[in-house]
Amino acid sequence: MAFITSFISSVMVYTTVYTLASLGILISGRTGVFNVAGEGIMLASASAGFLAAFLSGSWFIGFLAGALMGAFFGLILVFVHETFKVNQFILGICLVIFGSGLSDLIYKLVVGVRLSAPIAPDTPEIIIPLLSKIPVLAGFINQDIIVYFMYGAVIISWWFFYKTKIGLETRAIGENPKAADVVGINVSRRRYLATIIGSSIIGVAGAYLTISITKTYSPDISAGRGFMAIGIAIFASWKPQRAIIGGFIFAFIEVFAFQLQILSDKIPYQFFLMLPFISVLVIMVIYRKHIEFPASVGKPYSRE
Amino acid sequence: MAQKNKYKSLILSNLIIYGAAIILALGVISIFVAVLGYNVLEALRTLLTTSFKSSFGFSETVKKAIPLLFATYAFTIPFMIKFFNIGGWGQMLFGGTMTVVVGLTLGPLGLPSIVMVPLLLLVGIISGGLFALLAGFLKAKYDINPIISTIMLNFTAYQFVNFIATSNIFRDPNEGHPITRRLSESSLMGFFGEIPASIILAVIAIIIVYLIMKKTRLGFEITAVGHNLTASETYGINFSKTIMVAFFIGGALAGLGGSLEMLNIHGKLIEGFAKTSGAQYGVFGILTSLVVAGNPLAVPLAAFFMSVLLVGADSLQRTMQIPVEIVFLSQAVIVMFIVIIRERYGKGIK
Amino acid sequence: MVENDYINCKNISKKFGEVKALDDINFVVRKGEIHGLLGENGAGKSTLMNILYGLYSPDEGEIIIGGEKTNIKSPLDSIKIGIGMVHQVSTLVPDFTAVENIILGSEGEKFTLPISREREDIIKISEEFGLQFPADVKIKELSAGVKQKIEIVRALYGGATLLILDEPTTSLVESEFQQLLKSLKVFVDKGVTVVFITHKIKEVMEACTAVTVLRKGKVQARVPKEELGVENLVKLMFMEQDIEVTESALPKVNLPEIELSEKPVAQVKNISIIGDDTSPGLKNISFDIFGGEILGVAAVSGNGEKSIAECIIHPTMLDSGEIFIDEKSMKNNSPVEVFANGVFYTPEDRIKEGILNEGSIKENILLGHHQEDRFLKKKIFIDWKEAASAARDVIKEFNVATPDEDLSIRRLSGGNIQKAILGRAFVSPLKLLVTHNPTSGLDISTVEFIFNKLVELRNKGGAVLFVNEDLDELMIVCDRIAVLHDGELKGIFKRSEFDKFKIGLLMIGG
Repeated sequence: MAFITSFISSVMVYTTVYTLASLGILISGRTGVFNVAGEGIMLASASAGFLAAFLSGSWFIGFLAGALMGAFFGLILVFVHETFKVNQFILGICLVIFGSGLSDLIYKLVVGVRLSAPIAPDTPEIIIPLLSKIPVLAGFINQDIIVYFMYGAVIISWWFFYKTKIGLETRAIGENPKAADVVGINVSRRRYLATIIGSSIIGVAGAYLTISITKTYSPDISAGRGFMAIGIAIFASWKPQRAIIGGFIFAFIEVFAFQLQILSDKIPYQFFLMLPFISVLVIMVIYRKHIEFPASVGKPYSRE
Repeated sequence: MAQKNKYKSLILSNLIIYGAAIILALGVISIFVAVLGYNVLEALRTLLTTSFKSSFGFSETVKKAIPLLFATYAFTIPFMIKFFNIGGWGQMLFGGTMTVVVGLTLGPLGLPSIVMVPLLLLVGIISGGLFALLAGFLKAKYDINPIISTIMLNFTAYQFVNFIATSNIFRDPNEGHPITRRLSESSLMGFFGEIPASIILAVIAIIIVYLIMKKTRLGFEITAVGHNLTASETYGINFSKTIMVAFFIGGALAGLGGSLEMLNIHGKLIEGFAKTSGAQYGVFGILTSLVVAGNPLAVPLAAFFMSVLLVGADSLQRTMQIPVEIVFLSQAVIVMFIVIIRERYGKGIK
Repeated sequence: MVENDYINCKNISKKFGEVKALDDINFVVRKGEIHGLLGENGAGKSTLMNILYGLYSPDEGEIIIGGEKTNIKSPLDSIKIGIGMVHQVSTLVPDFTAVENIILGSEGEKFTLPISREREDIIKISEEFGLQFPADVKIKELSAGVKQKIEIVRALYGGATLLILDEPTTSLVESEFQQLLKSLKVFVDKGVTVVFITHKIKEVMEACTAVTVLRKGKVQARVPKEELGVENLVKLMFMEQDIEVTESALPKVNLPEIELSEKPVAQVKNISIIGDDTSPGLKNISFDIFGGEILGVAAVSGNGEKSIAECIIHPTMLDSGEIFIDEKSMKNNSPVEVFANGVFYTPEDRIKEGILNEGSIKENILLGHHQEDRFLKKKIFIDWKEAASAARDVIKEFNVATPDEDLSIRRLSGGNIQKAILGRAFVSPLKLLVTHNPTSGLDISTVEFIFNKLVELRNKGGAVLFVNEDLDELMIVCDRIAVLHDGELKGIFKRSEFDKFKIGLLMIGG
């Protein structure tokens, strides 16, 4: 039992990374902006968030910096797209490259080379009395504050998209921006908001990697998770309530592969490291019939 | 007459775009360099002249330009039908790895160079092509976005390289790092002075790509699908076939690039090879291709220019301690500017 | 200013790039009018109304509504002052229900979703105006006519007192049009003023109480009710063009009696396609086409007419049944193999489906023929010289207005693009031409040119399958007309049996 609880506990940590990142992607996707820059945003935010937390000594300022870095990337993406109608995928790829360069650069400039790697301040944990004693369940709730932030973000975005009129309108933009435009909804403004908010959530996911999980920065720390988050958003048909399921599945695979790697010496460990990436493809093949896309995602909108 | 004017305006518009691109490139880099407090003129001079100041600089430039050329083609050809092959790096890794696997396996047979080298290059071409074909197939058959599949295949290929480089059969027991044994002499390619013999293959590839794209039915079909998928299908062009062929060609070229790195540069498989200036050739290939808007005919020159920048960037790091990421960052910014310029002003004059 | 002027657009000008879409327009609508805005495609009707609705902003001029100068910057502004617009292309979200679509953008609490309350209001309005529709079915499952009703109710729900209908009849048949006419009268009774955009004089005559005629971005005249007349309107619409003014402003074609081929060129035998969300499919359809005839297919858009046209070129689309060309089965053949039997196709949407818009005219003429031996060297290389010569032939034969075959095709006008696409069909020996809506949006002289090319092919013994949504046009140029409704073949009529009312009734399943 204790093993299962601790296994779930570490799965939930990575679920938080995957879910927040894919949530950020699907929020802007619902307005038609396909943000493929997740990997770059996570890298830049991981670096910026870590540096801010380390320098200020405050986990909160660290996450704030990560979110702001994400918002900055989102702003570039949506501004260039909306103003010049540049292809979203090309922009996204440029931003991935930009982010991976920026993350190393700012770390080098601020920290330089040190003998011992700097360590981030602790992220506070929330322990719910009594409930936290129940095996298995404890794995889900004995967690730091960002895991709870993730739970909240999923619930709020689900409520927003499916239980409010403004959410209905936002989904309408992703399905048919012209339909939203002719009834007086400001398509461009909503796209700005959704992309910036979404990207800052991706930024929180990136900062979580360094501030809470590893507590230190190393190059290429997101290791493709920003890309896998795109796969999760697609697998989830761009629905928040399904993104957390997708996030859990991939976190499970990752942690499981890691455990097997320790336990098994027969199978070369590289195959376990491949597993998450191959799973993305396999799951997308299996679930393709159940996948829906917002009809206008990835497409520019202009009236003329 | 109209024809002449058309070409004139075409050349002029391209001159404007590329001229602007180069000026922008240098401008952006200067800003970064200045902000970080380094000497801008000194940095620019180093960046642009390192390749041409010494024969070492020039041969380094050629050595980087060759894999960069193939990485750029790997992105460019699927991009002609509006799909993104982010997997050029993985295809290079896979092509190179298979080359070494076959090379080390056949090594003991003692085949002559004239057999070994072409055979191993073919292994690289085919395995790179098939690895990319997988992404094309997943798109054609299961409608999986190649951006996703090729990225996933990149990570998979990276682990595959590690697997081979650390496996008991191939690894070099004297090395602490994951590195394989060296290929036999008959498997390796030579040099013309300091210029690698790969250059011959690069020139042949340039000619073949030109012929395919401009003169053949296949090239016409790829172009047509890129211009308008619906119309192409209406008039009998098979989309599934075209996308798979395009990915295969792109991957085959990347695989050849990886193979040449093995046979001509490294001579053995090294964990995470096909990197330069702190990033993967695949990434630089994507940037280079976006600069020329996926036009395969402009790739060779662009790859060479990009290589000059890379050699210059390495030198910046060595001589002025300017972080190499600056050049890398600036390139992403520059590509964004170029794409904006083209979107904004390039349409009317095409 | 006349006292009951409701909308007054003064000196409106608008440019798109270099093209002057509107040139110093003065446009007045009075309260209680059903005001026709008449003009050919490209005359500027939709542009003007999109400016009034706030989708475009004018370069010059001002809009006065109810005597007050307004500053309409977005649809939100226009909705607030009581303007509602039903666009030519559906602007509903296909995945939402009617109610969800109608409440989008409306005033009120944004952070709740009070569907049930608003649903009642919507149904009340729809009943009041006689525009009933299923409220809780997803839009993508509804027909074009129903979607239009929903769009009208959306405008009325938004409080519209001026309703702009942009080409509302495009996908309606006669009886639905009559129903719309009735609704228009109800609107006026309830105090709603209507602007009715159309390019069809007949509709203006039946529906409108005043008309403004636009031509090439300029107002030709405002015609009050008492002066409305076909001849008058035709003159205003086409003024400087050197065409004969006929009663109905339709093209003229000479269709001589000729012998049909002994054996059919194409036999369609019991073909079926299983329907889905977007199309009703085809239900066990059989017919023959002979050399020397033009067989029309009449259908309201979305009733399987696209499938009929496409499945002849793409026989693999068929779920059952078979198509024979010259008695040879085309089963499982690819388009290329079908083309090799002397069949060719011009698709419905000439820009989206017909051309490589970044390609030259030469490349576009080659498309579809690029696998023929004539254009290949050693099977894999394209003979660009031969392609250029074929393109020059098309340019000459089909009067494509271009300096040379290397010009980018998107620089051509719509009419010239259509001529090039049609010409492409004639590059190789042609036995059967399948053509879908080749004349949509073209001026009358181009339509006449295209009709004459079809007739020319017919007179030489070729066959034409002419799928078209305009029954008037079909009746001019066809030897027989097949009627399609909901994927079913409702009957085939010979020329002597042509009856607009009867065929129109069958088209809507009556």
